[in-house]
Amino acid sequence: MNILIVEDEKDLALEIESFLRSENFLCDIASTGVEASEKIAVNLYDFILLDLGLPDYNGLDLITEARNNNVETSFIIITARGAVEDKVRGLDLGADDYLAKPFSLIELLSRINAVARRKFNIVHQNIQLGDFIMQVQARNVLCKGVEVNLTKKEYDLLQYLCFNHNKVLTRHQLYEHIWGNMLDDQYDSNFIDVHIKNLRKKLNTHAQSDWLETVRGVGYRIRLYNMN
Amino acid sequence: MIKLEVKLALFNLFSKLVFTVLFLLLMPLIFERINLRQVDNELVKNREQMIDLISDVGIEPFITSDTTEAFGSYNILKEEFISLGKVYFDEDLNLIEVNPRLIENEEIEYRVLNYTFELDGQKYLLEIGKSLSAILYTRKNITKVIIIFIVLIILITLITDLQYNRFLLQPLNKIINKLSRISDPSLFDKRSINTSTSDFYQLDKALNDLMEHIDELFRKEKDITVNISHELLTPVSVIRSKLENLLLIENIDPDVSIKIEDSLKTLYRLQSLINSLLMIARIESKQYLREDSFSINDVLREIANEIRPIADDKHVVLEEKYMLDLKIMNANRSLIFSMFYNVINNSVKNTSPEGTIVINSFNQNENKFNVRISDNGKGMSESQLNTIFLRFKTRTVQDESGAGIGLAIAKTIADLHNINVSVESEPGKGTIFSFVIFSIS
Repeated sequence: MNILIVEDEKDLALEIESFLRSENFLCDIASTGVEASEKIAVNLYDFILLDLGLPDYNGLDLITEARNNNVETSFIIITARGAVEDKVRGLDLGADDYLAKPFSLIELLSRINAVARRKFNIVHQNIQLGDFIMQVQARNVLCKGVEVNLTKKEYDLLQYLCFNHNKVLTRHQLYEHIWGNMLDDQYDSNFIDVHIKNLRKKLNTHAQSDWLETVRGVGYRIRLYNMN
Repeated sequence: MIKLEVKLALFNLFSKLVFTVLFLLLMPLIFERINLRQVDNELVKNREQMIDLISDVGIEPFITSDTTEAFGSYNILKEEFISLGKVYFDEDLNLIEVNPRLIENEEIEYRVLNYTFELDGQKYLLEIGKSLSAILYTRKNITKVIIIFIVLIILITLITDLQYNRFLLQPLNKIINKLSRISDPSLFDKRSINTSTSDFYQLDKALNDLMEHIDELFRKEKDITVNISHELLTPVSVIRSKLENLLLIENIDPDVSIKIEDSLKTLYRLQSLINSLLMIARIESKQYLREDSFSINDVLREIANEIRPIADDKHVVLEEKYMLDLKIMNANRSLIFSMFYNVINNSVKNTSPEGTIVINSFNQNENKFNVRISDNGKGMSESQLNTIFLRFKTRTVQDESGAGIGLAIAKTIADLHNINVSVESEPGKGTIFSFVIFSIS
């Protein structure tokens, strides 16, 4: 998939680019509004990551412009301004999602994937986790046909780790994803540990869950070998 | 407290009363002087008439030369008398005095003119008297009329004074209204007031200028906080992406990844701090909409469910006791959520294993709704209590969670919603946070 990163902070643009490339996306960078406007007119992008705080342009105008020219692209707004009105206006103008800076690259990826699935009507496949099967559509986990009784938060945690399998996710990244709408100040690394502990306890009453690893001093990871 | 217009009217009334009393005290004296002078004038006139009469007709009609010594005459009501008599002393008299006279066994106060004159070698004394009781009687009547008149005047002027003062002070009342209505300088009505009084015009203008100035300073301060926060968030964003990318490198040395995660943790703290400051600045500059109506107990239940796993893990009992429910209007749900969440989360952190936290909501009376969050945790000393809602002052022990600004945020949110927060605590016994929500229909 083709992504245009519109971001005036070069360093950040490069980091996002390097991350997305490693996830097999094709990336392009525009550091000014004019440059972005030209690139959007010439190229076809599946996604545009749009920083609203551009030096020469009101980022929101780029969305209007693209919509007026019938450009079929999905906008994900990334901004440090973070004012509520910006978010509402952006989404009203037809942006597909909104991320406040600083955001986690993993979260950015999961937002892009979510938008892509909506856009292309991709139905989630069930995921095999050892002796467990995660039924993403039904939002449950089965072990030999028996449903594991998980709370919503526990399931969300498991799914996020699962979608980002073989990557170490830090507690903060997990927290941000699950409690994203809450204040940072309430962040407590203990939250995630408690939920993972409960999750493991529940899984272990059914079967072994050694695919869910604790990475010492860093976070958690789901190790899957049989998936591409 | 008394209104200025009433005070002015009262002062007017008082000064009028003082003058009136003074006048009433002095009036008899003045009145007497005027009256006496008039009586004296009349007496002198009467004397002239008598002298003229005597020089015309001679003394004989009154006093026969040898036999009679004196002549006297008074009218029926004894208001006036005239007497004429021979005297045998040398001095000349021409004086007017008050003198009691016995007429038909009745003693009456008279104003008497004594006048001596010589006629044909004989000295005569002419006395003309006017009764003073008549004078006193008229004085009484006139005093009565004057008092009634003055009282009427005072009452009428009091009413007109009040009306006029009210009219005169209208601009001042408008200015007071403008000031008392607002809670924030930005809401001040900057339209000038219509007045012909220069003092009020100047007051209004000075206030408007001042408000504009304060408003601008406030706005600048808020803008600075917001701008600084944004400027800070951008580099944080860059570092975070770099560190996260490093962490994603396959087969990275575990020790290196731990160091990277440690750096990320520090960065999260910075991020959380900036965001908290930004949030307070936004709340204070009223950037959050207050358009939600929702049940307070629902919010509390949601928070309890959120926190229960953590409490359970710590073996802290979380009790919920909801009596009546309040549907709050014109509030921001996510802010109210944060407010209670911060406080309940704080209680969980400060309660030791096997402790209990009680979330309690009840109606104090019709328009006072209470939420009480009490724990039997470590409690706080008085000095800690004093600084509990101040930014960065709540932490006593370094812990990596939060920036110690959660309670300051809770207080800011409470202030925005006119919710009253108070804390009671005793070291070793526990802490009680009380929220009083005033329901305004």
